[in-house]
Amino acid sequence: MSQTITIDPVTRLEGHGKITLKTNDQGEVTEAYFSVTQVRGFEKFCEGRPYYEMPSLMARICGICPVSHLIASAKACEAIMSIEIPPTAAKLRRALNLAQTIQSHALSFFYLASPDLLLGMDADPAQRNIFGVASANPELGRAGIGLRRFGQHMIELLGRKRIHPGWVVPGGVTEPLDPAKRDEILGLIPEAYANIKLALDWYKRIADRFRDEAESFANFPGAFLGMVADDGGLEFTDGKLRLIDAKGKILLDKLRAAQFEKHFGEAVEPFSYMKFPYYKPLGYPEGSYRVGPLARLNIVSHAGTPLADVELKEFKQKANGPVLGSFYYHHARLIDILHGIEMIERIFGDPTILDKHVRATAGVNRLEGSGVAEAPRGTLMHHYKVDENGQMVWANLIIATGQNNNAMNRGVLQTAQRYVKGDKLEDGMLNRVEAVIRTFDPCLSCSTHAYGQMPLSIKLLAPDGTKLDELRRG
Amino acid sequence: MKPVLVLACGNTLRGDDGVGWRIGSALQDEFQNEPAESAVEVILTQQLLPEHAEPLSRSNTAIFLDCSAIAQPGVVSTHSLSPAQSLPRIFTHHLDPASLLKLTQDLYGRIPARAVSITIGGKSFELQEQLTEPVTAAIPIAVQAVHRAIVASEPERRAATLVQHPQE
Repeated sequence: MSQTITIDPVTRLEGHGKITLKTNDQGEVTEAYFSVTQVRGFEKFCEGRPYYEMPSLMARICGICPVSHLIASAKACEAIMSIEIPPTAAKLRRALNLAQTIQSHALSFFYLASPDLLLGMDADPAQRNIFGVASANPELGRAGIGLRRFGQHMIELLGRKRIHPGWVVPGGVTEPLDPAKRDEILGLIPEAYANIKLALDWYKRIADRFRDEAESFANFPGAFLGMVADDGGLEFTDGKLRLIDAKGKILLDKLRAAQFEKHFGEAVEPFSYMKFPYYKPLGYPEGSYRVGPLARLNIVSHAGTPLADVELKEFKQKANGPVLGSFYYHHARLIDILHGIEMIERIFGDPTILDKHVRATAGVNRLEGSGVAEAPRGTLMHHYKVDENGQMVWANLIIATGQNNNAMNRGVLQTAQRYVKGDKLEDGMLNRVEAVIRTFDPCLSCSTHAYGQMPLSIKLLAPDGTKLDELRRG
Repeated sequence: MKPVLVLACGNTLRGDDGVGWRIGSALQDEFQNEPAESAVEVILTQQLLPEHAEPLSRSNTAIFLDCSAIAQPGVVSTHSLSPAQSLPRIFTHHLDPASLLKLTQDLYGRIPARAVSITIGGKSFELQEQLTEPVTAAIPIAVQAVHRAIVASEPERRAATLVQHPQE
């Protein structure tokens, strides 16, 4: 008999979602949906506010990656102001964004994903959590806590608050760097290196145990989008966008934020509040693509820092072209962290980082502006329109998790078809279906910001499950 | 090592839920000029997190300060805490004090010799920055409870100071 299997809530991710699997009479999974069941509405309620309030307002979308929202938003405002920010401000923002990436990736890898990796996908669910990690491998747990603390403390030192710092503003940052803070940050670097080395060594030792999952966790050909530096290296804050196909061919390059809308559209599905961005020339869903740590490593030629370059070279040997298996998001996340630590050391070792000129000022010089940054989970776009007085009249945000939406849904179906048989459900099977979502580290708080086009489906069912009526919107 | 760690939890945007944070903030001001070796460390946080295990492992006395949604409004309660024997099946974004102590023990092999929770019963948790009258009235009582817990930790504090300065 056919049946519907629901996993609700999906655990160990940021926000609340559910997975619905439908099986046929043979118990084989035929359909899979990853639904995001919350709604936020930031794009609507910012209307009428002054544009310069946007960074602090929009950053409230998320408590995990507010810095990326601050930066993308500030850059959109700076496009409206038509200004270039002082070089030291750009360096400080870059360091702040990397600190956030480190703490966010540490949460994802050590707190949410490592229980599966350390204890196994079939382990007792009561043990498969951070407590199980602490008990089985306290050294790994301490490394994760250390890296998260490093990133968070650095954000607090620079922005005065661990969450929602107000330091990044249109035009730069509010105050220059205090030498004592620079010295404190540099003093934390050796421990951060030791922690990421421990994690990378451990991951490489255990990764082969998960060959089966690596084959079936959202492993399919598709495009990858992310930011690159001018020389094609890894960049999180001030680069341009690159899109490649599954064979590594560059489809778009040196794309500026303002050009994004021309090439990318957003589709809506009835089962989720999260939108489905796609590359217009290929249409939806064929033009769906992936963003985030895996995409970043696939699109760049090099990392640009010595230790991360060694790791990246080894990573790229996994495939003859882009690495397509989403299981490798975990590995890519660790390489992101290593690169971040190296870059932070480089940025704070540069004496110009203490320069006092950190903010440019201007009024409204354009009525539209876009900004982009790499959030921990991938490319983040803020696009605003204002009136002559600088009041917001329209906003659109394209969030990393949304850009992985189609890949997550395909991944759930692929994984469910591999592991779930409707006549015999086991926890390990369903955990793998959740775990494929965790590889993407989705942030559902960020990604449910849409408005006005909410997909809504109301079904009236008879006691025997027969559909009597249905209302549908969107 | 800071011998006494106060973990003050709360959300100041949710009415009475912010009382722990507010008291913690006042304690930070009170203790900021103490000599380093005897200082009380106060961490303000919206919720307990795994990363709090590290400072907990370095302290001799832990005081968890929070609002209670169960206790009668304005009622201040002090309870001793031990590491949890059973842990939450699903961990996502929050921890209770006993589970955090257990995590600290497993990760660092050390927990504070004394751990107490001091809670203040809340009345309203709506979106507002003001505390209700009974909770506001309970703040001095809660501060006294914190001071009593700090005084009770004196033997441990002195011992810790002697370990750090054996010549004394």
